[in-house]
Amino acid sequence: MSVFHALRACAARIFRHAAMTDDLNEELNSHVALRADDLEHNGMPRAEAERRARIELGARGRYTEECQYESGGTSIATAFHDLRFAVRMIRSHVWFSAAVVTTLALGIGLNTMVFTIVNAALLKPVPVPGGSRLVATTGLSYPDLLDYRAQARSFAALEGAADLEGVLGEPGTPPQAFHLERVTTGVFSMLHTRPILGRDFLPSDAFSGAAPVVMLGYDVWQTRYAGSRSIIGRQVRINGKPATIIGVMPKGFMFPTTVELWMPVVPTADDLKRDNRQFRGFGVLRSGVTIPAAHAELAGIAQHLAAEYPASDKDFSAVVMTFNQLYNGGIIKTVFLLMLAAVGFVLLIACANVANMMLSRAVARQREMSIRAALGASRWRVIRQLLIESIALSVLGGGMGLGLAELGVRWFDLATSNVQRPYWVQFTMDYSVFGYFAALCIFSGLLFGIAPALRSSRPDLNQVLQESSRSIARPRGGNLAAILVVFQFALTLVLLTGAGVFVHSLINTLDSNRSVPAHELMVATLQLPDRRYDGIAAHKRFYDQLLPRLRTLPGVTGAALTSNPPGLGSAENPIEIEHAHPTDAAHRPIGSYVTASPGYFKTIHLPLLFGHDFNSTDGSPNHRAAIVTRAFASRFWPGQPAIGKRFRIFDDHAKPGDWITVIGVTANLVQDLTEQDRKPLFFIPTQQVDWGGISLVVESTANPTAEVRDAVASLDQDLPLRDVYILNQAVEHQTWYLRLFSRIFIGFALIALVMAAMGIYAVLAQATTQRTQEIGVRIALGASLRSIMLLVMRRGLWQVGMGLALGLAAAIPAVRLMTSLPIGVSPTDLTVFAAVVALLAVVGLFACWLPARRAAGMDPVTAIRCE
Amino acid sequence: MGEHAQILPGTLDLLILKAVSLGPLHGYGVLLRIAQISGSALLIEQGALYPALFRLVRQGLLEANWGTSENNRRAKFYELTTAGRKQLRSEIEDWNRLANAIAVALSARPEEI
Repeated sequence: MSVFHALRACAARIFRHAAMTDDLNEELNSHVALRADDLEHNGMPRAEAERRARIELGARGRYTEECQYESGGTSIATAFHDLRFAVRMIRSHVWFSAAVVTTLALGIGLNTMVFTIVNAALLKPVPVPGGSRLVATTGLSYPDLLDYRAQARSFAALEGAADLEGVLGEPGTPPQAFHLERVTTGVFSMLHTRPILGRDFLPSDAFSGAAPVVMLGYDVWQTRYAGSRSIIGRQVRINGKPATIIGVMPKGFMFPTTVELWMPVVPTADDLKRDNRQFRGFGVLRSGVTIPAAHAELAGIAQHLAAEYPASDKDFSAVVMTFNQLYNGGIIKTVFLLMLAAVGFVLLIACANVANMMLSRAVARQREMSIRAALGASRWRVIRQLLIESIALSVLGGGMGLGLAELGVRWFDLATSNVQRPYWVQFTMDYSVFGYFAALCIFSGLLFGIAPALRSSRPDLNQVLQESSRSIARPRGGNLAAILVVFQFALTLVLLTGAGVFVHSLINTLDSNRSVPAHELMVATLQLPDRRYDGIAAHKRFYDQLLPRLRTLPGVTGAALTSNPPGLGSAENPIEIEHAHPTDAAHRPIGSYVTASPGYFKTIHLPLLFGHDFNSTDGSPNHRAAIVTRAFASRFWPGQPAIGKRFRIFDDHAKPGDWITVIGVTANLVQDLTEQDRKPLFFIPTQQVDWGGISLVVESTANPTAEVRDAVASLDQDLPLRDVYILNQAVEHQTWYLRLFSRIFIGFALIALVMAAMGIYAVLAQATTQRTQEIGVRIALGASLRSIMLLVMRRGLWQVGMGLALGLAAAIPAVRLMTSLPIGVSPTDLTVFAAVVALLAVVGLFACWLPARRAAGMDPVTAIRCE
Repeated sequence: MGEHAQILPGTLDLLILKAVSLGPLHGYGVLLRIAQISGSALLIEQGALYPALFRLVRQGLLEANWGTSENNRRAKFYELTTAGRKQLRSEIEDWNRLANAIAVALSARPEEI
């Protein structure tokens, strides 16, 4: 039935109801008139007769409802009546209602938000036709890809892609670096996506010797070419080589993740090597083929390949993954799943809270319900009244929850808009998820609101009625409520310790490079193209020209080079210490290292404790040198001066390099913020290794980006400055998800705390109200203030205590689980445990103290009379 | 009101049907008629009358139409439907059977046992 029809049916019922009421009114008027006629006939004055007739008939309102009921058109009309009553109840218990509505809103809203986000990031398929059958595999060489494509039967299509940096340039516009993807030519048609301008790749574009072509992403087209339609066929230079623009892809299309330019793979000699595993395969499964089946097939093919090409394909097998597994796996997944767990706790607490409040209310209204039942209200009628009240509260809470979720999802979308998020992950409100959580919260409220009503509406009226509020024997419904409170406090404790431990470790981590003035350091990456800068000597010449220029820029107090600025990662390789016990390859210690140019330590303000900085000869073939951190020195040469000691690095093929002499020791520095097991760090001179890209680090009080750009351009017109950041932004960029997560986690924990406090307060306040008369009697008989406070608080404190004990028992293993996170989480963070227990105890105490103080301050006379 | 008998539960409908079977009546008329035919022994509470009338209409035993009373007042008149007539007959039979049974039971004397 459409909404329109439903509305019309509803309106018809209301009209019928209105018509019936009019009819009845007229009938009653006629009754009064006829009766008055009779009375007048017997000699009564007309006015008196009419008054008398009206009195005899009695209150009119009660006929309306009964007649409605009798004439069958009841449900809407009485439901309307019940609703009016419910609204009155909600308004007359503002605090109770606000608490329920807020709890519902938070429970529903937060869970909807987190589920929407997790669903988008981890579960939802890529939004292209057949996206749910789109899979990926990594580490393929181009010949492997062709073999798989030729032999595998699981795929309707199988295409390959490899990442590349693409510097786009043409005369007249400064060169710009973009994320370029080399793709096999069928990739767009596999995704059923056509260019909005120009043509798709053709198989012939991949033939060797074919004219090189490039496809533009929408954003490149808009920002660099202002959306001009005449760019098709234009000649540009990509990484210095000519290419022709053949098309523009649709807005938002950045397959596979954040790609801005695409070129077809025209296989080079390098591509044809079987051990050059730079390709990822993207395939669409045939319908009915599962991922494990495809996986098994590829594994079989891999075995054949391994037999055929043992030198390159031995020990290799393709792993078939979904897109989300490939791009949002690992740490992101852990973080999102933890977020899900945290919000699950919030949900449990919210449900418990709603249940608890509904329960205490229902218990408080037991007498009212019994009286209504005794006066003849049907059991269904009594239950329906409660039901409608609960539903009214739920609708309010759900509505607010929906708003909250919308805002939350939008906020999260904004908060993650400038991280490298795959283009297909879109955080938009998921209404089915909302419906699910709304149903869950509301159901728990109904369950606990209605269960006691069912009990009290059973016709054992006398007992309930006799058991007036004078009875002090047992707090009705108390056990269930008490258990719920204990449960809530336990959950809150787990959540708060989790959040506390996480944030404590995060603060420690982000605070580790305190001496580095991250907000005054500009970092940028330069990649000298091999064609024009061949070899270390050419690189050195370029930088020897660049650095002095940078140092003379206004405001600049230092400029240096490094492979990885502070906090932005490092290289890791096994090392061997000279004269140490020789160890086999598997047990060599791992060292992490970055390169540094002379002046680097001064620029990043890292104190040099012993020895001296690199000079321009350090790093040349006969002067292999290193500066180690204090942690490195004390790990490998404890109690000895490190200067003059030697060690060597093993490369990725376990081949040892030259011996390196330690010439200095610096204070400690953390390069890998999100690494859990940090390796001892050392620095080697920039010219000691031949790594393509390098980072400029420029210290300046003002942002020197424009001047640095000009200085680079004055040396080389075609050299783009990439990844330009102020260092603290770059670090934030690396740890965004940790910060975001800690914010969300803390938010959840605080909300849980508030809800638990509300829960215990509501239960105690309710229990105290029920015992008002008893307390009045006690005060009247001379009980001291203290004993009254104790009387009220004893139960609450016992619950808080139980909750804390249970919570601690659960929190210890829960925190241990968190040690898998990439920050140094200590499972025995006593500070946090103590702080959380203290916080919860204080909050619990306060929540108990409020009703106790009110009880102790009561006037005994009023209290005893209280009904 | 000692001389008025309490109406047994369930008998109100029967009385209304009987009263209306003697000729179409408005609500007030039903009250008067019942008082009249019971020799003023049975008094209907006014509040119970209208819900009962609505109920009987819904059950299809009565039919209601607006008309004019003998003293020219607009009033809603009730009359029996065919179903109502049938219902009345069967309810009268039931009642008589019950009344006889109770009368017999109540008139029992020790020597008859």
